[in-house]
Amino acid sequence: MADTMREVTLEDLDALEIGAAILGTGGGGNPYIGKLRVREELRKGRKIPVIPLNELPDDALVVSLGGIGAPVVGVEKIEQGEECLRALRAVEQEVGRKVDALISAEIGGANSMEPMLTAAQAGLPVVDGDGMGRAFPEMQMITWSIYGQRSAPAAMADEKGNVIVFRSTLDDKWLEDLARASVVVMGAAAGLAQAPMRGEFVKRAAIPNTVTQARNLGRAVLDANREHRDPVQAVIDHEGGRLLMTAKISDLERHLKGGFAVGHLSLEGFGDSLGDTGKINLQNEFLIFARNGTVEVCVPDLIVVLDADTGHPITTEMLRYGQRIAVLGLPCHALLRSPEALAVVGPAAFGYPDVTFVPMQTKGGA
Amino acid sequence: MKPLKQITLDDMGHIALGGAFLGTGGGGDPYIGKIMAEQAIRASGPVQVIDVDDLDDDALIVPVAMMGAPTVMLEKLPRGDEAISALRALEAVLGRKADAIFTIEAGGLNSTIPIAVAATAGLPIVDGDGMGRAFPELQMVSMTLAGVSACPMTMADEKGNAITLNTVDNLSTEKFARSITVEMGGAGLIALYPMSGAEAKKATLRGSMSLIHDIGKIVQEEQVANRNCADRLARELNGIRLFEGRVMDVDRRTTGGFARGTAHIEGLDAFAGRSIRLHFQNEFLVAETEDGKAIATTPDLICLLDLETGVPITTETMGYGFRVIVFGLPCDPAWRTDHGLQLVGPRYFGYEHDYVPIEDL
Repeated sequence: MADTMREVTLEDLDALEIGAAILGTGGGGNPYIGKLRVREELRKGRKIPVIPLNELPDDALVVSLGGIGAPVVGVEKIEQGEECLRALRAVEQEVGRKVDALISAEIGGANSMEPMLTAAQAGLPVVDGDGMGRAFPEMQMITWSIYGQRSAPAAMADEKGNVIVFRSTLDDKWLEDLARASVVVMGAAAGLAQAPMRGEFVKRAAIPNTVTQARNLGRAVLDANREHRDPVQAVIDHEGGRLLMTAKISDLERHLKGGFAVGHLSLEGFGDSLGDTGKINLQNEFLIFARNGTVEVCVPDLIVVLDADTGHPITTEMLRYGQRIAVLGLPCHALLRSPEALAVVGPAAFGYPDVTFVPMQTKGGA
Repeated sequence: MKPLKQITLDDMGHIALGGAFLGTGGGGDPYIGKIMAEQAIRASGPVQVIDVDDLDDDALIVPVAMMGAPTVMLEKLPRGDEAISALRALEAVLGRKADAIFTIEAGGLNSTIPIAVAATAGLPIVDGDGMGRAFPELQMVSMTLAGVSACPMTMADEKGNAITLNTVDNLSTEKFARSITVEMGGAGLIALYPMSGAEAKKATLRGSMSLIHDIGKIVQEEQVANRNCADRLARELNGIRLFEGRVMDVDRRTTGGFARGTAHIEGLDAFAGRSIRLHFQNEFLVAETEDGKAIATTPDLICLLDLETGVPITTETMGYGFRVIVFGLPCDPAWRTDHGLQLVGPRYFGYEHDYVPIEDL
C-alpha cells in the first residue's frame, strides 16, 4: 500500500478516529477519548513508531491490548489512562520478559487508540495490523485465538489499581467469561493485555496494515468533506465496498442483554432504494443486513451505517427512529473467511444458524 | 486442653466434627476435605502442627481455602489438585516456597482442606486461623483487622483455569474473587493472605486447630456415652443452649454465590409454645424470637446441633422436621471491637440488629 505509516503523528489522529469508527461497524466504542489522550502524549513529545508487519522480527514479543467492557459505560466513566499500561506490566511480570511491540486487538472503535496510548507511555512501537480488521463483541473473536495463540497469561487492570492476571485459562472463551465477570466488578470498563505472541505468529495471523488503512480511510472522508464530494462514495471507493441501501430507520428495537446491546432496526428505502425494505440485526456491532427479507451481507463482512448526509458513522447506541442513513457493505479480510474463522465469527456464532456466510458481492462482481 | 502437635489419620474424624461445629452451619461440610486430607496423610504421612510463636519471623505462611457456595460443593466435588495448584501459583508469584500452611477459616470445609494441602506439600500447619469460626466473605478475617493484604491471591478451578488477583483492598478482593468463583461454576480453590511469620504472630487467632480437635473429641465422647454433647460443650466452652425445637420451614436460595435464607423452628419440651427464626448467609448469622428480638447475632457463633446425636447441621442440609438444638458460643474478642463489628456485625449483613454480646442477651 502506498503511503504506509511509519509513525503516528498529530496530523493522523483525526483521520484515524474517523476511519476506526467506520471499521467499528456500529460497535467497538467511541475512539474520541482515546484520541485526546494520544494527542496529549504526542504533544508532550512522546513518539509512537509504527512497524509494518513484514518488518517485525520473528522473535519479537508482541502484546495485543485494548479496553474491555460496555462501550456505553466508557462514554460516562472515562478511563484513568494507564489501565492498559498496568495490564501490560502485569503480563510482562508474569512472563519475566519485556515486550517489544504492541498491537491493537481490534482496529474498529476505541481499541484502535489504546495500543497507541500505551505505546507512547511505555516507549514501544505499535504494529501496523490488528486481530479483527473491524470490531467484534467477544474476545475469542480474534485472529490470535482463531489461528492458535494460547489465551494465557493475560491481565486486566482498572482505574482504581486492581489488577487480575489470568495465569492459565482453558481457551479464549474461558478467558472471555472470566474477564467478563471481572470487568463487571471493575465497573464495566477496564484495560486488558493478552498473552504475548511471537512476531512470527503475528505476521501470519494479524489482519495486515489496518492502522494505515484506518488512517487513510479517515483521510478520504475528511478530504471528501473538505472538497464537497460525497463522503459515502469516498468510503466505498477506498474500501472496495458497495452501497447497500439509502434508507430511513422506520423501527428500532434495542435492549441490553448479557452486557451487550442487541436488537434490530427496520429500514424503508429512499432514493435509489425507494420501495425496498431492509433489516439489520445487531449485537454491539451490525451483524446481518437483509433486503426485502433476503440476507445480502452478514458477518464477518462489514456492515457500516453512515449518516446519509455527512458520511459520519453511526454507532449502535446512537441509532434513532427516523434517522436517514446509508448502509454500506465492506468485504472483510480473507483471514476472517477461512472455515476455522467462520466457526468463530460467522453468523452461526452469533446465534443465526440458518444464515450461511456468502462473501459479499463487490461493485465489480465478487 | 492440650495443644495438638500432629494430625494423624485418627485425628481427622475429630477435626471434621469440630470443624463442622465451628462452621456455624456454613463453611461447607468438612466431609469432602476430610477424605481428601485422609488420602493425603495416607500417601505422605502425618501433618505437623506448629504454634505461631515457633515460626521464624521471615517464614512464609500461606493460607489455602475453598471459596464458593456450600450448596454447590455438595454436588461439584473438587478434582483434588486445585488447592495445591493455587498454592504453587502463589509461590510462583511470590518467587519463594511456603514454609507453613494456614487455615483461613476454622469452620467447615476449610478446616480440613488446608490439612490435605499441608500433607501433600509436606509442610506443617499453623495452630490458628483467621476467623475462629466460619464467615461467608474472605475479608472477614483477623488479618484484615491487622492490616494484612489478601493479595497477591491466586485462584484455581477443577478445569485448569488459574488467576492471580492484586486489588486495592480486601473487600475488593472478595468482590472480584466472588464474581470469578461464580463464573468458575460456583466453587474454586484459593491461596491468599501470604504472611511472614512476624505478621502471622500479630494477625492470627491462636489455637484453632487444637480447639476444633477438642470439640470434635467432646462430641464423639458424649455420643459414645449416649449423652447429648450440648451440656458438656456449654460447660467447657462457655456456650449457651439457646433453644430446642423442630425445623418447620426452610426458605433457602443460592444467590450471588451464597446460600441465603431463613429457617423457622418451633420449640419442644422446655421451649414448647415458643418459636424462633434463624437467618443465614452460608452461616447462621442471627437468631431471633417471633417478635424480632435477637437472642444471638454474628459475630457470636450460632450452631445447630442434632437433638439426638449432637452432630452439627449445616444450612444446606437442614430440612423440615429436623429436631435441633440451637447452641450459642461467644466469638473471639477481636470481633467485638468497632473494626471487627464493621467487618462482621449484623448490620454488615443487612440485619436490623445492633450487636449485643450473646452472654448479655
